[in-house]
Amino acid sequence: MPLDTSTYSLALLRLDGRRWNELRRLTAQISTQASADGSSFLSMGNTKVICTVTGPSEVKAAPGASGRGDEAVVSVEISVAGFSGVERKRRGKGDKRIYEMQTTIATAFQATLFTHLYPRSTITISLHILSLDGSLLATCLNASTLALIDAGVPMRDYICATTAGSTSSYSSNDEKADPLLDLNGSEELELPFLTVATCGTEDEVSVLVMETRVQVGRLEGMLAVGVDGCKQVRDILDVVVRARGKRILEGSQL
Amino acid sequence: MSTTIAVPGQLLGATTDFLPGPGTHIHASSIHASILGPISRTVPPKPAGPSKRLTKITKATPEPLPTISIDRDISEGHGQGKREIIPEVSSVVLCKVTRITPRQANVNILVVGESVLDGDWQGLIRVQDVRATEKDKVKIFESFRPGDVVRAAVISLGDQSNYYLSTARNNLGVIMATSESGNAMYPVSWKEYRDPETGANEWRKVAKPF
Repeated sequence: MPLDTSTYSLALLRLDGRRWNELRRLTAQISTQASADGSSFLSMGNTKVICTVTGPSEVKAAPGASGRGDEAVVSVEISVAGFSGVERKRRGKGDKRIYEMQTTIATAFQATLFTHLYPRSTITISLHILSLDGSLLATCLNASTLALIDAGVPMRDYICATTAGSTSSYSSNDEKADPLLDLNGSEELELPFLTVATCGTEDEVSVLVMETRVQVGRLEGMLAVGVDGCKQVRDILDVVVRARGKRILEGSQL
Repeated sequence: MSTTIAVPGQLLGATTDFLPGPGTHIHASSIHASILGPISRTVPPKPAGPSKRLTKITKATPEPLPTISIDRDISEGHGQGKREIIPEVSSVVLCKVTRITPRQANVNILVVGESVLDGDWQGLIRVQDVRATEKDKVKIFESFRPGDVVRAAVISLGDQSNYYLSTARNNLGVIMATSESGNAMYPVSWKEYRDPETGANEWRKVAKPF
């Protein structure tokens, strides 16, 4: 079903009933798998991701294979379940979009984690996408943050991510159209959007990915809305982490 | 909620307002939490006034700053008394064999000393640690089988995921075993268990019962 952007301008409600700056329901759990060093389950709307973190552990590869000896290397593996989308589809390992997401997540956390504390080791983040409905990269980043916190890997601050899109079209020339926050799958198909992740409360952008084309004048509004959404995400994640901390102090292991 | 919980790295206050206590550290002239726990502020007792009546005007002693700290062991404070127990070197543990390979047996540690653990920890019994004598003739599949309950001693904290365990003492080894037909067996020698129903013997590294 195509997103009818003309009705949006009338009621200012999106297909799923949200307003322009509303997030979807964001729920998260920490320590979902006992066997992993750190794990999390995070859902933003109907996008659901399980993340497990292994490490920091010794590098398995032969010495000299990857040159970084003085800091930990972050590696990311993403697997998309065949049942995650609307129609069943097998995605191979060589999917370029998945590969790019892996690299994006790895570089983001390579900069935020205190990797210098773990020389000659790897931190493996593996993400399993169970359900797919837009904002995939953002969901993966948020889930990775929680799993890394659960694993106890020191980091500068939370990396919180969200997406922002632009409803205005060039033809209708509606300059004042609102940017949209946290796009779902059908909105992502229709609208130009970007994924933005911030680190900490100071609006420090650590990831900014945009695969669609948009007029440069809209970019600033989208970015502002996205960064504001990241702040909301950070508050939600913080509540989850603190609730987990409280339960640890009360003596429960899992 | 009476106390607020700090997470590691959380900003607690400026060094001009507080003194850093246990569980905190100073970063960029402000105090941050180092560990997870409830924040506590202790105000130092007011110093007693001058013993003699003052005869001249002196500068007032600066007010001592309150100390901000994170309580390390809150389980005592909350009266639960439940400390997390983890295996240590030379502690005797009870564990269940999960997997065997020719070189090692993987186990789940369930009990340390007298206390049952909340979660289970991974352990590893290498082939050279099964018994003290004739180590070169030890075969893992003649010593353990998956499902056996084993008494073992921790010899090392091991690698990142496994404790290294040893059964190289008379009182260590398999204490409960089931036969291939699924019956509980009883030990008949230092290396054999017998199935009471079929009468078949199976090899194990048997723990000395008494």
